[in-house]
Amino acid sequence: MRSNHRRFEFTATFTGLDEGLDILHGSIQRLREAIGRPQDDRSLIFFETALGEIGSNVLTHGRPAGTERPVDYTLRFDGVTVEASLSDSGVPVHEHLTREMPAHDSEAGRGLAMARSLLDELGYEREGEVNKWRLVKRL
Amino acid sequence: MALEVETRQAENGVTVVAPTGRLDVAGAPALKDAISEVVKNSPPRVVIDMEGVSFVDSTGLGSVIAVLKQIRGSEGGELRLAAPNQQVRVVLELTTLDRVFPYYATVEEALTGF
Repeated sequence: MRSNHRRFEFTATFTGLDEGLDILHGSIQRLREAIGRPQDDRSLIFFETALGEIGSNVLTHGRPAGTERPVDYTLRFDGVTVEASLSDSGVPVHEHLTREMPAHDSEAGRGLAMARSLLDELGYEREGEVNKWRLVKRL
Repeated sequence: MALEVETRQAENGVTVVAPTGRLDVAGAPALKDAISEVVKNSPPRVVIDMEGVSFVDSTGLGSVIAVLKQIRGSEGGELRLAAPNQQVRVVLELTTLDRVFPYYATVEEALTGF
């Protein structure tokens, strides 16, 4: 296990799909450079892939028409574990959390199953009208 | 970052479709549109050159499955993937879709014997 004691924190709020995805991927690149991991670091690839899945869900389903609330995003690394938090104002998604990987010919429905497999922990809570996501992986 | 897609014809008549950027929920429609144009020419034999794809998500993967079904639905149609980066390979292996899309290290390898 490689140790790296540099800490890192990044926060952002965003509303648009392209803008949000650019910020999420950009934050992982900044983390990668800050802690000196190569582009092909497998743990970070796993984490970024899971973040892309949850992030695109949040950005496409988490901002129902008429909502003004932006998506809040935080990325933290404590020297061992990376953790991302995302919150949105979409409908509750409890029933989707345990969805299994669909058949090969299915064109959709893999995102949450992929994220679960790639992370050490995928947390989800409904607080009032807000979905709160927590993605955790030891690097 | 919008996905850009270039299309060219290889010497053996195979169409090489080369997307550049993230093949994700925002970029997937551009790949589907490009392949829909190719499928008009029968039989569609297509290599997707993934070298320029920095990242794929489940929606991007879904678009590749959709075009695979579209291409294999045409008589003589076939699709090969070439030059996926490590992130794309991780996603293919995680979803076991590497069994459906045997990928090639380079476009040249994918074109050989196609």
